[in-house]
Amino acid sequence: MIIRKKPLRHWIGRFFLHALLMSVGLIFLFPFVWSLSTSLKPMNDLFRTTPSLIPSEFKWGNYQEVFDSVPFMRFYVNTIFVTIARTIGGVFIASLAGFAFAQLRFPGRDLVFFILLAGLMVPDQVLIVPRYILMREFGWLDSYQGLIIPLLFSAFGVFLLRQFFLGIPRDFQEAATLEGASPLRVYWDIYLPLARPAMSAFGFLTLLWSWNEFLWALTITNSNDMRVLSVGIALFEGQYFTNTAVLLAAANMATFPLLIVFLFFQKQLVEGIALSGLK
Amino acid sequence: MTPAQRQEMRWGYFLIGPMVLGFTVFFLVALGASFVLGFTDWSLLRSPNWIGIDNYTRLVEDDRFTRALINTFAIAVPNVILRIAFSLGLAMVLNTKIAFRAFYRIVFFLPVLTMPVATATIWKWIFDPQFGPVNGGLRQLGIDGPAWLLNPGTATVAVVTVLLWSGVGYDMIIFLAGLGAIPRDYYDAAAIDGASGWQQFKDITLPLLTPTTFFLLVIAVISSLQVFDLVYVMTKLDSTNRLPTLVYYIYEQGFTNGNMGYAISIAWALLVLILAFTIIQFRLQRRWVFYQ
Repeated sequence: MIIRKKPLRHWIGRFFLHALLMSVGLIFLFPFVWSLSTSLKPMNDLFRTTPSLIPSEFKWGNYQEVFDSVPFMRFYVNTIFVTIARTIGGVFIASLAGFAFAQLRFPGRDLVFFILLAGLMVPDQVLIVPRYILMREFGWLDSYQGLIIPLLFSAFGVFLLRQFFLGIPRDFQEAATLEGASPLRVYWDIYLPLARPAMSAFGFLTLLWSWNEFLWALTITNSNDMRVLSVGIALFEGQYFTNTAVLLAAANMATFPLLIVFLFFQKQLVEGIALSGLK
Repeated sequence: MTPAQRQEMRWGYFLIGPMVLGFTVFFLVALGASFVLGFTDWSLLRSPNWIGIDNYTRLVEDDRFTRALINTFAIAVPNVILRIAFSLGLAMVLNTKIAFRAFYRIVFFLPVLTMPVATATIWKWIFDPQFGPVNGGLRQLGIDGPAWLLNPGTATVAVVTVLLWSGVGYDMIIFLAGLGAIPRDYYDAAAIDGASGWQQFKDITLPLLTPTTFFLLVIAVISSLQVFDLVYVMTKLDSTNRLPTLVYYIYEQGFTNGNMGYAISIAWALLVLILAFTIIQFRLQRRWVFYQ
C-alpha cells in the first residue's frame, strides 16, 4: 500500500467545502432552532424589534397551554390512528395487488395494470369534489372511514411493489403451488418476508405523507373531534393561538414524532426515497 | 384453460380485488363524475343545472384565475430550477469522502420530515415584518425589510425559499442514489487518461445522471404546480389569500364559496397543464437523457 501525502491544495479545498456546508447547514437548522426558542419565550419577548435567540426566561408552560387552548390531545390521537390505519391498510392492499400483477397470470392483467399506472398522472385535486360528494352519499363526512378509506389505494405503491416482486423468480411460486399451497399462502409465507425491504420503504413513505396530509382532512372534517394535527394547527392559528409562542409549541409537537421515527428508521426511509427514484 | 390456470386466474382477480375496487370507486367513478360536474353550476345548496362549457369560458375572463395561474408559475419556475441545482450540488459534495457527511445529510433531510403546515407556521413567523429574525437581521444592517407576505412579489420569494428548504433534501437523497449507481471504474479509467475533475463531472457524472435528473424534473414540475398547504398558511392573512395558487383557488371556489362546478373546471385546467408539461418533458427527453 502506498501512502501518499495529500497536497496542501486538497486541505484548503476541504476547508472551504466544510465552511460552505456548515453555512448551508446552519440555514437549514435555523428554522428548527428559532421555532424551539420562540416556543419557549414569554409573551413580551415576542414583540421585540431585535428578536434574540435565547428567551429571557424559559416558559415551558407554553406547551401546556397548547393542550388547554384546543383539543390537541384529540388531534394527536386522530393523527396517530389515521396514519397507522392508512399505512398498514395501504401497504397490505398494494402488496397483494403488486404480488398478483408480478407473479400470477390472468387475462386482462396488463391492461388493468396500465390503467392503474395512467391514474398516477391525474392530480388528486381533480377528484376532490366528487370524492367529497361520495363521502356525503356514504355518510362518511367527518368520520374516520372518510379520512382513511379513500386514501388506501395507492397505484404508486402497486407499481413499486410489483417492480420488487418481479425480481423474485416465478419458480418459487410455481413450486409451492404444486405442493398444494394457495397463492395467498405463498404470498404470506414466501413473498412477504422477501419483500420486507420494499414494503418497509413504501410503508415509511406512506407514513410520512399521511402524517402530514392536509387538503383531504381539511375538506372532509368539520368537528374538533375529527381534526388531525395539520388541520388543527392551520385552522386555530390566529383564532385560538393568539400567542405565537404557543402556536409554535403546537407546530413543534406536530413535527416531533416524525423526527423520532426517522431517527429509529432512518435507513428504511432513506432507502424508500432512493427506491422511489429508481425506475 | 387447465384447472390449474383457472385456479391461478381466480386467485389473481381475488388478490387485485381490493385495489381494483377502491380504484374504481375513488378514482374512475370520481374522475367520470368530475368530468360531468365540470359542465354544471353545481353547488352544495342547489341541484345542478347543465350549463355546457360556461365554467370553462368563465375561466378565461376570471381575473383571480389568471392571478392564480401567474402566481403558480412564478413559484414553480424558480422552484424547479433552484431545487434541481441545489440538490445536485449538495449530493455531489456529500458523495465524496468528506468528514461528517452522514451528519450533513441528516441536516439537509430534516425539513423533508417536517409537516408542511408546521413549516409554514414557523416560516411565517420568521418572515414577520416587525418581529421576525429576517427583518430583524436586515434592520441591523440598516435595511428596512419589506412586509414579506403582504405583497405578491416578496411573498413569492418567501414561498420559493420555504419550498426549497423543505424539498431539497428529498431530491438530494435520490441524486445520491443515482450517483452511487455510477460505476467507480469509469472515473478510474478517466483519471488514468488524465481527465480533470471538471471533465469527469461534465463527461461522466452529468450524462449518467440524466435519467435521475429527468425523473426529479418531472416530479418537481408536477408538485410545484400543486402547491397548497404552504400558501394556505403563509399568505392567508385575512379572509382572502394574497397569493392564490391554482390549488388554493380550487379550494376557495369549491369549499369556501361553494361553487363546486366551477372549482372542478379549475382542477381540469390544472390537469391539462400537468399533462402538457409531462408530455413535453417526455418528448424532450430523447434530446438530453442518456440511458445506458
